[in-house]
Amino acid sequence: MVRVEELIENEEKRVLVLGNEAIARGAIEAGVQVFAAYPGTPSSEISMALIAAAPELGFYAEWSTNEKVSMEVAYAASISGVRSMIACKHVGLNVAADVFYSALYMGCKGGFVTVVGDDPHCFSSQNEQDSRWLGVSANFPILEPSSPQEAKEFTKMAFEISEKFEIPMLLRTTTRISHARADVQFNKFETTYRDGELEKSPRFKCLPGIARANHPKLLEKNETIKEWIPESGLTRIEGPEDNQFGIITSGISYSYVKDALLMLNADIPILKLGIVSPLDEKSILKFAKSKENIIFIEEVDPYLEDRISALLVQNGITPKIHGKCNGITKRYHELNAYLVAKGLESLFGSKIADFKDIEVAVTKTEEYIPFRPPLFCAGCQHRAAFYELSKVVKKNDGIFASDIGCYSLDPWVSDTIVCMGASIGMASGFSRVIKDKPIFAIIGDSTFFHTGLPALANAVYNKANFNLLILDNRMTAMTGFQPNPTEDIPIENVAKGLGVEYIVEFDPYDFEKGKKTIEEALKHKGPTVIIMRKICANEWWRRTRRKGEKIEVYHTDPEICIACGTCIVRYQCPAISWSIDTNSKGKQYTVIDSSTCTGCSVCSQICPTGAISKVE
Amino acid sequence: MEEEYRMVLVGVGGQGILTISDIIAIAAQKKGLRVLSSEVHGMAQKGGSVITNLKIGKELHSPTIPVGCSKALIGLEENETLRYMKYLEPGGLVITSKTVLYPVTWKKDKNAAVLAHEKIDENLSKFDARIIRINAEKLASEAGLALAQNIVLLGALSQIKDFPLSVEELKSALKTRVPSKYIETNVKAFELGIEAMKKAN
Ligand SMILES: Cc1ncc(C[n+]2csc(CCOP(=O)(O)OP(=O)(O)O)c2C)c(N)n1
Ligand code: SF4
Ligand code: SF4
Repeated sequence: MVRVEELIENEEKRVLVLGNEAIARGAIEAGVQVFAAYPGTPSSEISMALIAAAPELGFYAEWSTNEKVSMEVAYAASISGVRSMIACKHVGLNVAADVFYSALYMGCKGGFVTVVGDDPHCFSSQNEQDSRWLGVSANFPILEPSSPQEAKEFTKMAFEISEKFEIPMLLRTTTRISHARADVQFNKFETTYRDGELEKSPRFKCLPGIARANHPKLLEKNETIKEWIPESGLTRIEGPEDNQFGIITSGISYSYVKDALLMLNADIPILKLGIVSPLDEKSILKFAKSKENIIFIEEVDPYLEDRISALLVQNGITPKIHGKCNGITKRYHELNAYLVAKGLESLFGSKIADFKDIEVAVTKTEEYIPFRPPLFCAGCQHRAAFYELSKVVKKNDGIFASDIGCYSLDPWVSDTIVCMGASIGMASGFSRVIKDKPIFAIIGDSTFFHTGLPALANAVYNKANFNLLILDNRMTAMTGFQPNPTEDIPIENVAKGLGVEYIVEFDPYDFEKGKKTIEEALKHKGPTVIIMRKICANEWWRRTRRKGEKIEVYHTDPEICIACGTCIVRYQCPAISWSIDTNSKGKQYTVIDSSTCTGCSVCSQICPTGAISKVE
Repeated sequence: MEEEYRMVLVGVGGQGILTISDIIAIAAQKKGLRVLSSEVHGMAQKGGSVITNLKIGKELHSPTIPVGCSKALIGLEENETLRYMKYLEPGGLVITSKTVLYPVTWKKDKNAAVLAHEKIDENLSKFDARIIRINAEKLASEAGLALAQNIVLLGALSQIKDFPLSVEELKSALKTRVPSKYIETNVKAFELGIEAMKKAN
């Protein structure tokens, strides 16, 4: 991460930053005054940077409880005349959708920018949603940068466009822009933070009569923006003028096209769209008119392809269309320069290397290469909790609705993972139709405050019979250890306030107590709430080491260990491995890596022979 | 694409890949070259396998390096080196640590670790590549900082013939990037990496 001092330094200079940090800098240069966000990969670094910068520069930034709330906070600031922004991941935009569908009708005052990070290839996500569709269906103007530098410049422009046309703006990035690191030119900026003022007007009430009047106005604004795009510099045409081929692209795909054309040694005209809604119709039609073949290169969905193909037909222009429709690129997963070049080679009659030898070697080695899935960290309190739970859940043949967070990594009991907060609603639903098995829901503290609250109120109100386990690790760990309301609002108070009658709490490292507590809870009619509270082991470990404090680690006695595999095969703590040597009986034993063991003690509790103990 | 130097750095989450790609990027930037890297953040970081793509040059476009297109592969863990071999261009250079970190899938098999090196070597030889193995674990301990295996490899890669950055450039970037109380041990690790590479050459 770039240091805050460097991020906020008011100088002209080149700085090595992530695409996300470039967006944060863009917002700072634009004078953002209110920022609110809920974390989510690949967007989180934008928020971490701005939340760190806010107290230094004197603007307001917060971690909100969810994306909808963050957008409301920022929107209110905007209609009070102040520049504001939110950042979220693609699925977070769905959570905020209820706000922006109406906000767009009503328009804004101070520049209002929503940054959404899409995740083609599902590096850290549950789907490959292409947020351009959601944006365009709400009539958001959408900017798509192609590099970290452009990400910064487009952020600044988004504020300007938003203010100029009084319209909320969407800036769409993808993982490869957000998590690309490059040297980015920073510019000087002027900050004149001021108090907001709400100019009272019926415009900001989305009542039917007003909404009916606002809708055509919104469409008009989009028309005006459309006419303005050619002079904005957001559309760029590159390459030779006359050629039977033309490539239309945007965002990260533009960079793949550039490298692919180098690979193919081809000089083909490119129309690069910086704004993908509304469409820059004038430039597109002019570009396509003289071409026999139009090629669309974009990741995941054929968004440009479908919309622009329709536009061409409406204008009587009929080039041959290439893209997703004829398999030039796939409709899933990410692209790269080679995939694009491969897709194009037959069209251009060129030929690029096809690495057959590598493919052969890959097939020959595949069988050996060990799978290395992401795992709970050494000492993770979730691992302990799930191990206890797995004993109870399996014995009772329970149904287990899980949720989204580090605990999604559970290898033992989870039956469903849908979206944030879904565990509670799903368990409520299961409890209506599955009567002979205990039903469980499990949720983390951050997810509980994100969307778990209304679901729990629903469960209490409708008397759903299930056991809700809340994993309170004191933070939002999965996305980078962000703080959340669990710091100040005790979850047991919330549950009690909502009317939950049976509430218990325990430390998941206390193995026997944990099992008993869960067994006991099963005897009560639900919804019951079982809070498993322990700070995230990884963050605790890092803090302890930073403070220079000693961590009391565990070790195995090679002579007592019978190599049963309980700690290593079943519990799967990553700090434990098999010895290379053998003990005096000629048997291998387990070895604990003292540089990663966090001293949680669970392995020593579950070892049937008492071979594991604290290093004295 | 000859204008740019392309390399992939691979290993297991937490091994310090981002630190060395950072140091390379800092050195390149100081020299007035452009850098573009693509990193893995989020879920995959948790003990999973990670790959960073790094490009250095004058004009750079896409942040990722496709299969068969990387000039060099730097591996901090031998299984991961093998996993990502496909990214190496035919005949490319591999510098890999001999370190082997237990994937969870091995835990059922007590012999897996015992046979690991043999199996990995056998499989690595199926690729068309020049492979240099460095005992980074041993050298890092020798330098007095077990965690500095990544820096040992940084030293090693400074010796790559057509690498666009010099030993001095990398070393001064290293000094700006690591905590001041660890500069000395890191420089030692860096130098041991250089020596090891010279011997291997
Ligand atoms: C709507 C939505 N917003 C954000 C995310 C990204 N995200 C995934 S897990 C997670 C945090 C979960 O925190 P918590 O429930 O406390 O579990 P922990 O990771 O701490 O175990 C977030 C923010 C998402 N998947 N969906
Ligand atoms: S980050 Fe924390 S909660 Fe997440 S797996 Fe690691 S120890 Fe567990
Ligand atoms: S005490 Fe045991 S289970 Fe806990 S982190 Fe150390 S090795 Fe892993």
